[in-house]
Amino acid sequence: MKEKNVPPAADDPAVRRRRSYAFLARFLLLLVGFALLVSWNPVNDAVIVPFTAGVARASALALNVLSENVTVAGTELRSGSFGVDIENGCNGVETALLFGAAVLAFPASWKARLTGLVLGFLGIQALNLVRVVSLFWIGKHRPALFSAAHTVLWQSVVVLAGVLLFLLWASRQKPAARAEA
Amino acid sequence: MSWPSPGRAILRAAVGFLGGLALWFALSAPYERLVAGAAEIVLRTAERPAVTRLVARGGEILVDRSDFPPAAPRPGLPAADLHFNFVILTALFALATPLRAGRAALALGLLFAVHVAALCCQVESLYATRLGPWSEANYGVFARNVWAAAFHFYQIAGRFAAPFAIWWPLALWDRTDEKPAQKGPARRKKRRG
Repeated sequence: MKEKNVPPAADDPAVRRRRSYAFLARFLLLLVGFALLVSWNPVNDAVIVPFTAGVARASALALNVLSENVTVAGTELRSGSFGVDIENGCNGVETALLFGAAVLAFPASWKARLTGLVLGFLGIQALNLVRVVSLFWIGKHRPALFSAAHTVLWQSVVVLAGVLLFLLWASRQKPAARAEA
Repeated sequence: MSWPSPGRAILRAAVGFLGGLALWFALSAPYERLVAGAAEIVLRTAERPAVTRLVARGGEILVDRSDFPPAAPRPGLPAADLHFNFVILTALFALATPLRAGRAALALGLLFAVHVAALCCQVESLYATRLGPWSEANYGVFARNVWAAAFHFYQIAGRFAAPFAIWWPLALWDRTDEKPAQKGPARRKKRRG
């Protein structure tokens, strides 16, 4: 009598662990690919810089609603003697790349992925707008707090929000898909 | 380990974030000395002769070489950019209860290794691209690109992704260690009466 090779069950802890490591590997590969893509000068000049200028214009609009009298020149915001230049790292793109890599690496339908990508991107950019506006206000009115708020506080909050959005999205996928990751 | 509802997840992450932030502010200075010391050992191991000195001071890591001209200014690297992602890791660990001390220690050890590797890449990137003719004389085109790309990747994505990539398998470890519920005939409730 021959013994049949029975495939391991999907809820087998070893299988789930292996699939989870596969998710992590796909995530890291996609992240490296995305990072290379946005670092490529033609992409940076044609997409990232104009997008950052859009972030600057939206932030100026919000700051002017708060009566800060802000002017915009490209990616730079200025009010009186205080000005900031929104650089890569402050435009929410890095967190969006992180979120996008995680969503695309996660086993789910393309419709679910697309919905997640659109909603996640909008959520991250909305939070990033609050970040830029608040940092400009802090820099102008409480300059001593600017460095800590810029480097530690807001960067971490935006990245953490991106991770939480991904976990929320992943927890809403079908159990079969979750078992695969 | 149990996954919390979205509201609880935000609350727990916020608590972990604030706890991590307090620790980060309190321990940044000694931690920077530790990372600088470890990175210096790694760099000097690969140098012939061993000339690099890394000194953590005032939120910067100063790069010194015994072959730098004595009067030349020593370049400083911002230290907070390197290790602020500690607070992201503490926030992620706070998502799930109970906190497993062993796994948290393992995660901190891995993050420390990431910080040491990132600092080594940053110093090599500085040597390879920012010291003018000296860089061109001592680093080939390939080496310059590799070191610059490695540090750039950490800046653009690696520092944000590292806490998640460390936390994810450790959190999953909890999930897969749970024994599946045993299937069998449901026990009838005893009727009283």
